[in-house]
Amino acid sequence: MGLVIFRNISRGTLGAFGQLGRRVLFTREIARAFGEPRTYLPLTMQQMRNIGVDSIPLAGLVAAFIGAVSAFQTRYQLFPGVPLSTVGWIVRQMIILELGPLLTALVLTGRVGARMTAEIGTMRVTEQIDALETLSYDPVAYLIVPRFLAALVMLPVLTVVANTVGIMAGLAVSALAAGVPVDDYLAGLRLTFIPFQVIYSLIKATLFGCAISLVCSYEGFITEAGAEGVGRSTARAVVITSVLILMLDALIALFLAPFLQ
Amino acid sequence: MKRRDEVLVGVLITFALIVGIGGTLWLARKGFGSSYPLHTRFTWGAGLKQGQPVLLAGVEVGTITEIDFNQQGWLDVTMDIEKARRVPEGTTATVAQVSFFGDKAIALTPLRPTTQFYAPDDTIPAGRATPSIDEIMFRVDTLSRGVADVLQSVQLEFVKGGGLADLRHTVGSANRLVVQLSGIAAEQSRGLTATMTNLRRTMSAVDSAQIDSTVRSIQATTANMVVLTTGLRETTGRLDTLLTKLSSSEGTAGKLLNDPGLYNDTRALLTDTRTTFAQMDSLLADLRKNPKKYINLKIF
Repeated sequence: MGLVIFRNISRGTLGAFGQLGRRVLFTREIARAFGEPRTYLPLTMQQMRNIGVDSIPLAGLVAAFIGAVSAFQTRYQLFPGVPLSTVGWIVRQMIILELGPLLTALVLTGRVGARMTAEIGTMRVTEQIDALETLSYDPVAYLIVPRFLAALVMLPVLTVVANTVGIMAGLAVSALAAGVPVDDYLAGLRLTFIPFQVIYSLIKATLFGCAISLVCSYEGFITEAGAEGVGRSTARAVVITSVLILMLDALIALFLAPFLQ
Repeated sequence: MKRRDEVLVGVLITFALIVGIGGTLWLARKGFGSSYPLHTRFTWGAGLKQGQPVLLAGVEVGTITEIDFNQQGWLDVTMDIEKARRVPEGTTATVAQVSFFGDKAIALTPLRPTTQFYAPDDTIPAGRATPSIDEIMFRVDTLSRGVADVLQSVQLEFVKGGGLADLRHTVGSANRLVVQLSGIAAEQSRGLTATMTNLRRTMSAVDSAQIDSTVRSIQATTANMVVLTTGLRETTGRLDTLLTKLSSSEGTAGKLLNDPGLYNDTRALLTDTRTTFAQMDSLLADLRKNPKKYINLKIF
């Protein structure tokens, strides 16, 4: 019995180290593939369109609702004596520092990451990746690097859009439905603002973009066992990416939040 | 399709850049207007943060852009002031609370209207800070502690020490005293009423002719007194003149009174007289003893 437990723990530990090692080697492959720009650059623009431009409606919608709800909730939690500019201040802090990058990344995990895993996984199980290798294409440079670069660039771009839409939605709801004067909201937006808050938001978005593209591409790249394997890889990619995003969010807050003071 | 992708991606990235950079600048600089820096300095613990507002006579004119921690006990603060707002010379900077929750701002308070203004990069002197919530709470705490002490003393003295019972007893005594005084006052009032009645009766019994005659007698007496007083005044004046003459050695009496030589002569005369009398006494004694020594009577 003890031997079985020991064997299971050993297998689990080795498996975890193996998983980590395979991902590190995969990342090394991506870094190596950066040396083939003629392979990935023509495809990068298409991925940027898929990841960035096509995601604007969804990211904007989510940000708009988050901004509106934040403003509404904040307004009705205020007790007498608290200035109304607090609404603008809280909405700005919530959207720029936390909800803007985090929810954009989580939404894109579902929309872009799942699609990425499914596409690459399907190519893997239908042996299209093998065919690429046969044609002397580097599959990492051809499939992974364009998606990685596109996510790296477009996540911050989408985060800027989401932040702007969220703050504007908060302004609209504050002014139209919550009785907060526009001047008070704008004064709150500017209160104790420092440019590093935007940089902090973009750092988060960039790291979330890396996480989405790396995890989802890898999960698709190692897909096995036909259509069922594609589904399993897709689900696993979404779960791992979501958890990784939340962990990264906490780590970034841990290390960078002191610089926000 | 590829061309369209490139345009869309380019538009999106350009939009994000403009919104991101423009929005950040707008938020950080409170708009796109130009500004100029001013400096001030506060002691440690002012509770300031980058981005907090700067108020000139209550109007928001800029923000705090930089706070340097000076090891000598100061916070060197840089403020960004809107170019359209000029800060009059003589203005002082203080850290003010802008809400009950401790939000701070720098309040610039002009001394008086003037045409002289601080130039960019000038340093505004720090004024006397308004008391913070902590200080106010400390004072309130001290006051409440004092009130608690007083209440405790009152409880000790009045409740536990029996002071309240004493007070009740004193009030009871005072009430009794007031009752007694009321009785006395009533009695006095009755007596006074009777006295007044008697007085009125007496007054009505007095003959006015007699009073008139008495008053006339008094007037005559007074006139006589006036004459007497005048006479006395004249007599006093004469006496005064006489005494003045005596004291100034004028006249015989004055010389007698004030001449020391006469006094000495009189003393010497008295001494001589005493000596003479003594000699005469001894002579008489000797005469009695030896009469024949002096009287030698021969009839025949």
